[in-house]
Amino acid sequence: MGRDVTIGACPEGALEGAGIGLRAPHVAEVITTRPHVAWLEVHPENYMGGGAARHALTRIRADYPIALHGVGLSLGGVDDPDAAHLRRLRRLVDEIQPVLVSEHLSWSVAGGSYLNHLLPLPYTEESLDIVCAHVTRAQEALGRPILMENPSAYLRFEHSTIPEPDFLGEIARRTGCGLLCDVNNIHVSAHNLGFDPVAYIDALPARAIGEIHLAGNRANDADGRTVLIDDHGAPVAPEVWRLYAHAIARFGIRPTLVEWDTDIPPLDVVLDEARHAERVASHACREASSALAR
Amino acid sequence: MRAGRHPLRSLGDLQGVLGRALLGSPAPGVVSLIAADGIAPEARLDIYRHHVFASLTASLEATYPVVCRLLERRFFAYAADAFIRGHLPAGPCLFEYGAELAGFLADFPACRHLEYLPDVARLEWALNVAAHADDAAPISPSALESVAPARVGELRFAFDPSLSLLRSPWPIDRIWRANQAEVGTEPLVNLTAGGVRLEIRRRDDVVGFRELTLADYILRRALLDGERLGTATEAARDVDPGLDLTGLLGALLQDNVLVGFSLSPGRATSA
Repeated sequence: MGRDVTIGACPEGALEGAGIGLRAPHVAEVITTRPHVAWLEVHPENYMGGGAARHALTRIRADYPIALHGVGLSLGGVDDPDAAHLRRLRRLVDEIQPVLVSEHLSWSVAGGSYLNHLLPLPYTEESLDIVCAHVTRAQEALGRPILMENPSAYLRFEHSTIPEPDFLGEIARRTGCGLLCDVNNIHVSAHNLGFDPVAYIDALPARAIGEIHLAGNRANDADGRTVLIDDHGAPVAPEVWRLYAHAIARFGIRPTLVEWDTDIPPLDVVLDEARHAERVASHACREASSALAR
Repeated sequence: MRAGRHPLRSLGDLQGVLGRALLGSPAPGVVSLIAADGIAPEARLDIYRHHVFASLTASLEATYPVVCRLLERRFFAYAADAFIRGHLPAGPCLFEYGAELAGFLADFPACRHLEYLPDVARLEWALNVAAHADDAAPISPSALESVAPARVGELRFAFDPSLSLLRSPWPIDRIWRANQAEVGTEPLVNLTAGGVRLEIRRRDDVVGFRELTLADYILRRALLDGERLGTATEAARDVDPGLDLTGLLGALLQDNVLVGFSLSPGRATSA
């Protein structure tokens, strides 16, 4: 499973160039200044009502490709995805016509309540069956394939039997979904759980990777040890840039997005991170191609 | 441990117990399933627990900035913590989270002396609803031309979904205005200045509120509750005998506040 090699494959695509996650403080500025950025990504849950937010998204859609990055479907939850929420998401998909739709390998709903967190799963055959059934249901309801993102983790379950990249690869194989490779999440999880992030990237099925995420993290103390928190509140860390270059060398150029959600800086700072991602990807791609030629 | 022997091995059991553990319930069964890897499993669980409360508190702060300012941020976080334990979101659209905060604050012992606070929270919730309500096009006056004059009193209306009506014995409009960021020096609000009747709604993407006369409040309240125009007008005439049905209907239409109408019993739906 998932050991195919696409080094040097830099496909022509609709989303060449890096995008940024569009957050509320930057919406008005994006509308008025129309900055140069390849694409934008939003959380659909923030745009499921009417009013100013929704109207702004419609205006922005006229100028930029938009990706929808969901946090609310709880596809790893034991309960079926909320049918009403799926209908709302379908309406938004039909209206916005996003270039990509993604969700997370996690769960958020227990006992009918929404916990507002991307919670970890034990990687077992039972979990795999449940996630695959829910991804299939979501794809049927939305009428299109989605991408599933690897989570940032602060714990792992003793009874997990399947390594996470293999678990993701199997979801992609069974459901036809793509994968969203969040390189910062891999870095954070690798630090917190003690695995090799390069080996993780190498174990992902390259052909399934439809998008890459980059973000900042922060170090915290837990029980006297340092844990990394995926807070999306800082520049992308140097280790994450190195992992990103490795991911591009292995997967080829993929639509890449910079997320910044807490301590949000001026728009230009986020745009600069996206431009840096383009330079890193381009350099990694050239290096990989010349290594292949040698 | 062999598969199937641990009571929380099934995903449903695990998620149920873990969900409760994140809200503070003891969860020894879950803890025993978490690999330590150098950090105590409880400390690992605490990272998730902290995020659940911090992110939901931030969501409540965003919806209730004036309540937060009145209570001061640290006390608001204390109240929010108690609120969250009893009122998790029903879904992932957080602009829909927190409707019950006003009722919660009314019963929260530490806030009971701030009698005006629940109504300030109701005003902020109405503003939040107005900001995110679905769009609906108002009906045009010509849409009612087909209604026979004798039957106008039987009309029931559907209102702009962004609209709420609020009546309070406290000057919550003045309290709200005095606590906006752009007000540099906070003017004193006389809490005994009397109550207000407010209409809160969105027009052209801008959310706001205005004070209604008692008659206008009674009329709109009755119509919003599904009463016929004739019945609502009679109720409003009790406080303002000079009102006439045609004039009131014209004012409602001019206000672009009606989005549907019906002549049959039952609620009108938007056009």
